[in-house]
Amino acid sequence: MPHPHEHSTADQAIHGRQLDTFTLPNFFIYRNKSDRIETGPKMTEKREGYLLILPAVVVMALFTLYPLLDGLRFAFTDKSVLNDAYQFVGLQNYARMFSDDIFWLSLRHSILLTTAVVVLQLVLGLILASAMQQDLPGMPVFKSIIMASWVIPVAATVIMFKFMAQPDIGLINIILRSVGLGEITRYWLGDPAVALPFIVLLHLWRNVPFYGIAFLAAMQAIPVSYYEAAEIDGAGAWKKFIHITLPGIRNMIIVMVTIHVLWTFNNFDFIYLATGGGPVDATNVLPVYVYRQSWESYALGYAASMGTIMLIILMIYFVIYMRIHERGASAA
Amino acid sequence: MSTKSTRRIIIAILSYLVVIISLIYFILPMVWIIYTSFRTQASVFTGRVIPPLNEFTLENYTTILSVTDFPRYFLNSLIIASIVTLLSLCCSIAGAYGLSRFDIKGKNGLIIGIFATQMFPQVLLIIPLYLVIFSLSLLDKVIGVVLGQLILVLPFQIWMLKGYFDNIPADLDDSARIDGSNVIQRLLYVILPVAAPGVMVAAFFSFVVSWGDYLIVSIISQSERTATITLVIQRLSASLLIRWGQVAAATVLTIVPTILLFSFVQSRLVEGMTAGAVREF
Repeated sequence: MPHPHEHSTADQAIHGRQLDTFTLPNFFIYRNKSDRIETGPKMTEKREGYLLILPAVVVMALFTLYPLLDGLRFAFTDKSVLNDAYQFVGLQNYARMFSDDIFWLSLRHSILLTTAVVVLQLVLGLILASAMQQDLPGMPVFKSIIMASWVIPVAATVIMFKFMAQPDIGLINIILRSVGLGEITRYWLGDPAVALPFIVLLHLWRNVPFYGIAFLAAMQAIPVSYYEAAEIDGAGAWKKFIHITLPGIRNMIIVMVTIHVLWTFNNFDFIYLATGGGPVDATNVLPVYVYRQSWESYALGYAASMGTIMLIILMIYFVIYMRIHERGASAA
Repeated sequence: MSTKSTRRIIIAILSYLVVIISLIYFILPMVWIIYTSFRTQASVFTGRVIPPLNEFTLENYTTILSVTDFPRYFLNSLIIASIVTLLSLCCSIAGAYGLSRFDIKGKNGLIIGIFATQMFPQVLLIIPLYLVIFSLSLLDKVIGVVLGQLILVLPFQIWMLKGYFDNIPADLDDSARIDGSNVIQRLLYVILPVAAPGVMVAAFFSFVVSWGDYLIVSIISQSERTATITLVIQRLSASLLIRWGQVAAATVLTIVPTILLFSFVQSRLVEGMTAGAVREF
């Protein structure tokens, strides 16, 4: 049984370093400046630095920042695709939203879906990474093919699952029928009761291998000596996982969860392509509702106002996350 | 048998169980769509898993490639994804290098800002983006789609590359600077060769994002001039009478390029993520 003291040193050693050594979380290293590689640029070279970042900054300002600000402005107008003229309507869009049942339903679905998807991805990703960490025959091949689902277009993923979910000819129903579960067969994306859970399966299909590979990479950065020391103390597999592995990959978990909360909450194409938000709004989420309001009902102003609500929700999440992160960092 | 080796056997069995379930869940759907793409329409509709041999055919592929406009959309996708990859690499390599090596005023704010763009709902951004592209008269133009897709790619790509550059010792730059090279020479001849695996992963990322994009294309493309395969396979699979064999063939052709590229960078994809970590300890 390792001493509590040992965990904290292990945690610190990895906590401090891992940020620097892994590609993904590197954006967060602005926090511990002391670890950074100082390059000592000369004054004459300062201008070159600005020139280097100029193209990226211009593109992002023109196609991300400006659209964002413009979008915030549209939220207070009755702008439509059909009409060039528009006027400011104050808070009318927000009043409409308040009494729009589909908005509230979509909001609830969005939060539910994001929570379910991210929690399941995290748990399954950890299980997958733990399995891949074992040095067993065939594992290298498995590791090399498993991330394939992450690279194929979402539109293709949706078609695969749509096809498998078909009532008569879909593989899922064929298998169910062959094991004697014929009475529960259905078009899985067409039944309001199961369509949303089915969408969760699509998200998991795409991202769990990515979690697994990322966690595995972080696990491999943990020095073997920590595990050996724990083994001498007689710690079992579970104890080692809880006291060494989890603290060791803490930063990777934080980064993956943060990114995927944002990505899942903002994700549009899975649901739009699979169900369009149906049947009868059973899978409608905010991004899909905003898209349909903009491009199918042409209500850009109203859509923009719902988009700002999405942004506010994510900002609240982000602020809370930063608070927790800072508290965690200062406690360590 | 000692408890230690029993424990080891249990862990091995559990690991293989995870592997088998993963293969069924993550790989089988891809195998199934490839399998379906070689079956006749009638065969698919029998609902049988293993049909007689004479029900296998190449007809789905020949129809998709010769009767429909699919090759044209495939080419559109290829052109758009290639340009997006090139442009985004130029912007993000320079930007990430600048952020990694130079003293830039407000750098931390900029870095946080780039990360914060991941928070912006894309469905909100595309409303004004549509109007920007419209006012530049770039609707339904390849370059309009490209500019729109850049915003999907750039933030994450800069982030990846900056991380990669941060791990390359600054001594390399310094010795090259003493030799009298300018910043472009240093970047091209000193940094990029060392960062090649990271750059390859970044290029792969932008190609795959552009290739799979539906959101941007769906609002900026208005005709077959700029329509990409993601639009087309969606249309095929949303028609009233779905010809699953052909849909499957079109889907396979959509997947193949990404899987091919993936097989090239696959070892680097993992290596690109783990190399730094392994080097450190």
